[in-house]
Amino acid sequence: MDCVKVLRVLQEEMDGMLSPGEAAEVRAHLESCGSCAAEAASYERVGELLRLWTATRSAEKAIPLDVLWTRVQAGIEEKKSRGKGASWARKWFWMPAAAALAVLFLLFYPSGVSRAPFHPRSFDVAVEELESDTATVALVDRGEDLPRVIWIIENDKT
Amino acid sequence: MTRRDTSRGYPVPLIFLIVFIFAAGTVEAASPATVAVEIGVVVASNKGASIDPSLSTLKTKLQSMFSYSSYSLLDRMRRTLAVGETGEFSLPGGRSMRVTPAAAPDNKVRLAVQIMEGGKNLLTTTLGLSRGGMVLVGGPPHQSGVLILLISAE
Repeated sequence: MDCVKVLRVLQEEMDGMLSPGEAAEVRAHLESCGSCAAEAASYERVGELLRLWTATRSAEKAIPLDVLWTRVQAGIEEKKSRGKGASWARKWFWMPAAAALAVLFLLFYPSGVSRAPFHPRSFDVAVEELESDTATVALVDRGEDLPRVIWIIENDKT
Repeated sequence: MTRRDTSRGYPVPLIFLIVFIFAAGTVEAASPATVAVEIGVVVASNKGASIDPSLSTLKTKLQSMFSYSSYSLLDRMRRTLAVGETGEFSLPGGRSMRVTPAAAPDNKVRLAVQIMEGGKNLLTTTLGLSRGGMVLVGGPPHQSGVLILLISAE
């Protein structure tokens, strides 16, 4: 492997991207070629500098991240407490609505008489007195199955 | 945890609502202090041969008792009266009827009934009915027939 090819694949070798055979050829060339070995050494230094820079940036960002996480946690807690209130409201919201519905039902529920007109349950009637100033009055009773009738016979009309 | 809280929360208002509905119903049903008086004003005649559909439940009774061929419902009035309170009902032909419930056992109703015609007493009576019972008052002429009053009390 000549210098041109080694310099072209040097970065890949350092990243472990080459096949074992090619990597062995590159390492053999670096042992025998001083300029390529120097180039490889400079690549390694750049790598170390990059790692150092990344570590520094991470340390700088650690504090803002802590603050952000605290805020997120506070937000979650606040939402939880709001959720408890909302669930209580949801649980009891239907109560006044149901009570109002019950009141309306009781107010407008038709009674037995208005729902089905003239459905007498009994014709059992006691007539305690019968009086008239202008007519003859008779009580007609044709048995328990039929209604009792008070018949007014007006002297000059009926 | 939340699930258990929710399931435990529902029965209390539900029970309250059921108790409320039943209590309200019981109060209305067991209120002997008032009487719902209903008056049906029927004109019976021999003109035509028809029975008012609203009288269908009494059709066989009316035909068994009277010999008229036509029955027509002129008016239907309902009033809820307290014991001792007098309700006045207007009747055709310048007549009027006054009804006053009197004290009676829970399932009974006593009604003092007075029918007036032109300032004169056409009928004065006191009736004892079961709640839901009915009595008929008839005879006063009206047009070409007679009036029959269906008096019921609840």
